[in-house]
Order: sequence, then C-alpha cells, then structure tokens
Amino acid sequence: MMTEGPSPVPTSRPYSAPLGQSPRPQPATLADILERVLDKGIIIAGDIRVNLLDIELLTIKIRLLIVSVDKAQDMGIDWWRNDPMLTTSEQGLADENRQLRERVEALEAEKASDSGATKPTVGARS
Amino acid sequence: MSDLGRYMYAISRALDAEHLVATRGLAGAPLEVVQHRELAAVVSTVDLGEYGEVALRRNLERLEWLEETARCHEEVVRAVAACAPVAPLRLATICLDDEAVQARLKEWYHALNQVLDRVEGRLEWSVKAIAPGEGSGKSAEAAVAAQVVAGSGAAYLERKKRQSEDKAAAEERALMAGEGMHAALAAVSAASRRLPPQDPRLSGHQGSMILNGAYLVEGDKEDQFQDMCQALDAIHPDLLVDVRGPWPPYSFAMMEQ
Repeated sequence: MMTEGPSPVPTSRPYSAPLGQSPRPQPATLADILERVLDKGIIIAGDIRVNLLDIELLTIKIRLLIVSVDKAQDMGIDWWRNDPMLTTSEQGLADENRQLRERVEALEAEKASDSGATKPTVGARS
Repeated sequence: MSDLGRYMYAISRALDAEHLVATRGLAGAPLEVVQHRELAAVVSTVDLGEYGEVALRRNLERLEWLEETARCHEEVVRAVAACAPVAPLRLATICLDDEAVQARLKEWYHALNQVLDRVEGRLEWSVKAIAPGEGSGKSAEAAVAAQVVAGSGAAYLERKKRQSEDKAAAEERALMAGEGMHAALAAVSAASRRLPPQDPRLSGHQGSMILNGAYLVEGDKEDQFQDMCQALDAIHPDLLVDVRGPWPPYSFAMMEQ
C-alpha cells in the first residue's frame, strides 16, 4: 500500500530535493556517488590491474547484511525500523551508514581470523 | 625508486590547469594535467602502498576507504566539469608514470574525443521515484495481528489474502508509474538510461525505488527538464520524486570498445 505516503515532499528530509529551486548541486548520497564512480565512466586499463568486479564482493557483503537484517526482522528484532533517529533525520542516515560500516567490518573480522580486530556489537544500542 | 603512481580522475579537452588549483586530489595531493594534443588527463600522485594491486584489493572492500576515495574522485571530476567538457574515468585508474598516461591518451584519442563531443554542453540529472510503502504495510500487519485475537481464523485468512492482492496491485501501479515517468523525462533529454534501484542501506530511502533514471540534458533545456520534473511530481502525489544534479555526465561517458 502506498497511499499513506505524504504527498508534499518535506524539505527537511535528507532524501528529498525540493523542486523548482535554484539548480545548485544537491549533496550526493554515498549510493549516488558509488553508483557512478564504480559502475559508470570511461574504462581504460591502467598499469595497476584492479578488477573492479572485485567490488561486487562489497555489494555481496551488503546483500548478505540485508538478508540477515530481514531474518532479524522476522524474529521480531526490528529496533532500527522504529527508531526515529534512524528513519527520518540526517543523523539517522549517518548512524545508519556508520552501522553499515561496522557490520561490514564485523563480517570482515569474522572472515579474517588472523586479524585481531574487535567485533563491534551493533545491536546493542538503545 | 619510490613506489608512486599516477591516479587518473578524468579526461578533458583544452583544459587550463589553473582552474584546478583550488581542488586537491587524493591524500591532499595537488592536481596535475598530462596532455596529448588537445586531450588532457587530470592526475595526481598516489602511494602504491595504498593504491597498488594488492592494497587496492583490500582497500576497495573497506566501505570507509571506498567512500573517502569515491568522494574525492567525484569532487575532482566536478571541478573539471565546471570549466571544460569532462569524461570521468572509473574509480582507481592508475598508471605508473606520465608516459603511460600519455600512451593511453594516444591509444584512445579518437574514442575519447567522441565521448567529449557527446557530453559537451550537457549535464546529467538524476531522477528517482520512491513509493513509500514499508511503514503502512507494517502497521497494517500489526492491525491484522491485533484483530486475530478477537476475530475468527477464516476472517484472518481473508484479510491476509486481500492484503496481498492490494500489495500486488500497488506494485503493478508503481511499475507503470516508473515507466511513464522515464518516458516523459527521456522526451526532454538528449539521452537517458535507467539504472538499477539503489540499495536502501546505502541510500537511506524507505519504500521501493520504482525509478532510478539518469538523463543527459542540454544546457539550454534545463528549465524544460525541471518543469517536467515538477509536473511529474504534481501528478504523482503518492510518490517521492527526488531530483538531483547537475552531475558530470558519468552515465553517458562510455567508449565503444
């Protein structure tokens, strides 16, 4: 159901750009930037051979993360959905990004058993 | 011999390096221009300890590092776009020295000029449309859960069924709206592309992204494009329409290889 969505675009939300104003560049989200600098643009092989398909590993990690989030939700752990800090404000976006990074790091730490990185307890915030 | 490389941000044409003095490259390094005839590659020196093959493979997996590098890359491309036509290079294009950079410019001379011809005087706009559905769906589910205590099992199943039918119909409507918006925007653009919907964990949006479009717009058609965005926003009060730009023409700087 999408009828409950607010029709006017609230200007305070970071994800919405007010229309019809001066065409100053809007702050770009990380997703906007990554989408462009990783997937688009001219491809010329340099001397440093880096297979950007490797980047997909990152995407896969994020996907895995989402799967686990969904599973958590099925189990009734859905604090992030109801947390106003996480859902509406710029702070929420920053927090969300930070948590995402922490979770990716946690995933990495799990894989790299040789590293002594501490595993952040992401679910413990209140 | 130190382990240094030349990181390439973008290719431009007839570029005056003076315009770039205010912008810094990765790790705060100054930007430089490597020329071949009228083509100009914007480069800076990077430490191969961080940007070598082994280090890159590790660093690209670190979201924090990736974000910093991507934002810097993007800022440099933007600075170039402000003063000359620009063909952004993909992240992490690195040569060992200026001769190697020049060799690339020479090898791709015609193709790069073609790309620059295509994007010159045009800018990219991004338009996304989001159907905010998550929250309402969730509360509806909660309502059903609350009612099930009082209601019969059959009534519960009936409500569940109706809910999933509503959901399918809403998805169908969203799909059609996305198609229609893209067609309308493409009609006022020099070129257009639909990109896959973004990952909500990266973009922070809620609901489903039914349109993630990139539009290459002529400099003198920007008003027309903005008007179209506003009109689409007005006729879709149930959608969040997010217009961003102008971007350097990332989505339209592709070489035919």
